[in-house]
Amino acid sequence: MSSAIRRPVLVPHARYRWDKLRQQHQLVFPEGILVLNEPGAAIVQRCDGRPLAELLVALGEQFPDANLGEDVQGFLERLARKGLLRDATDS
Amino acid sequence: MPPIPRPLALLAELTYRCPLKCPYCSNPLELARYRHELDTATWQRVLAEAAALGVIQVHFSGGEPLVRRDLAELVQHARQLDLYSNLSTGATLADPATLERLKEAGLDALQISLLDARPDGNDWLTGAASFDKKRVAVENAKHLGFPVTLNVVLHRHNLDRIEEIIDLACRWDVDRLELAHVQYTGWAFRNRAALLPTREQVERAAEAVVQARRRLSERPAILHVLPDYFQQYPKACLHGWGRVFLTVAPDGAVLPCQTAREIPGLVFPNVREASLESIWFDAPVFQRFRGTDWMPEPCRSCERREIDFGGCRCQAFLLTGDPAATDPVCHLSPLHPVVERALVEPPREAAALQFRVITHSS
Ligand code: SF4
Ligand code: SF4
Repeated sequence: MSSAIRRPVLVPHARYRWDKLRQQHQLVFPEGILVLNEPGAAIVQRCDGRPLAELLVALGEQFPDANLGEDVQGFLERLARKGLLRDATDS
Repeated sequence: MPPIPRPLALLAELTYRCPLKCPYCSNPLELARYRHELDTATWQRVLAEAAALGVIQVHFSGGEPLVRRDLAELVQHARQLDLYSNLSTGATLADPATLERLKEAGLDALQISLLDARPDGNDWLTGAASFDKKRVAVENAKHLGFPVTLNVVLHRHNLDRIEEIIDLACRWDVDRLELAHVQYTGWAFRNRAALLPTREQVERAAEAVVQARRRLSERPAILHVLPDYFQQYPKACLHGWGRVFLTVAPDGAVLPCQTAREIPGLVFPNVREASLESIWFDAPVFQRFRGTDWMPEPCRSCERREIDFGGCRCQAFLLTGDPAATDPVCHLSPLHPVVERALVEPPREAAALQFRVITHSS
């Protein structure tokens, strides 16, 4: 469980959406809603099974000033623990 | 008074019609009183009003929502409004063509109910040969790429087979297994003596779930909702009255909770006469138990009052006669002994189960 996630992919019942009314990024699943910040939203929108390295490159382009590397892995693991994300290399 | 929050989720009960007869159905006992269903255009307006009000998720439910021919149309409408849509179905009417239409319409998630791991147990409880239809529906849904949750309501008669239920969920390869104990309102309250498990059953089952989670590592993910009768504190019913959820019933009545019709004296506005927005913010029935001002002691001064919101109003009414009482499931309630007594009542024979009946044909 604690091994690093290499190809993050959202589970099929989790969907990203932008909430116009609340001006919020959200990840929605049957039991709830997770409110995301800007980097969180950028990550989640790229969790489509591509290698993590590629995802980090894309993030680096979008947030050139932030150093997101380690935070990203922690964020992905939190999503995985909530059952919202899987490692595409596992299946 | 703090500002009234906007709702997050709409339970759209499209119909009370259903080919099954589950004895713990959450629909009202007098089903025949609510046969005048909303039409497609009205539901579309309701969905649009819900989205404008701030609703993010819509749960299409019933009854059996698949008896509505316009279901796919409504799902598609929800999708166009960027609502997240979830369908709860008994799945006996979920033929491949229907499922495919729902997929194309943009349905996000699918919950299929199952009553027991064994075909005879399931078919006895639904009052129909439904097990194989459910199995085939799960297969077809997965084939179409739907995320499938298998929903099993737990009670005295299937709790000892929890391992079999988990094994079956693995064999059927569903994404998630939801194991929720019966909530004792509506039909289930009437059948409580025949459905309530023993404490030993509950504890053994909880342990079995812990073991299975360890063994399975997330496939299927298991959600286990413990029975509140056996807990110290009540569940946070609705996450607070008029705070997160609203229900629109088949006849257009707007309810804070799907079982709120159990409470006498409440007046439910109807979407045929008013907008969801005005109902949510202004209708007396939504104000009735909103926030904490209505609370009696011990809730009023309790530090958990914004955690569990004093529990379930319907349960408080059913068990104490007073819908504004502390939910007697709470061990701090002065009326908690009514719950303890129910737990030691001699069990009633399964034969005494009263199945859901509908007194008109449609
Ligand atoms: S609980 Fe059973 S009888 Fe009630 S609506 Fe659902 S499937 Fe039908
Ligand atoms: S006293 Fe009321 S608020 Fe406190 S735990 Fe019990 S039900 Fe919840």
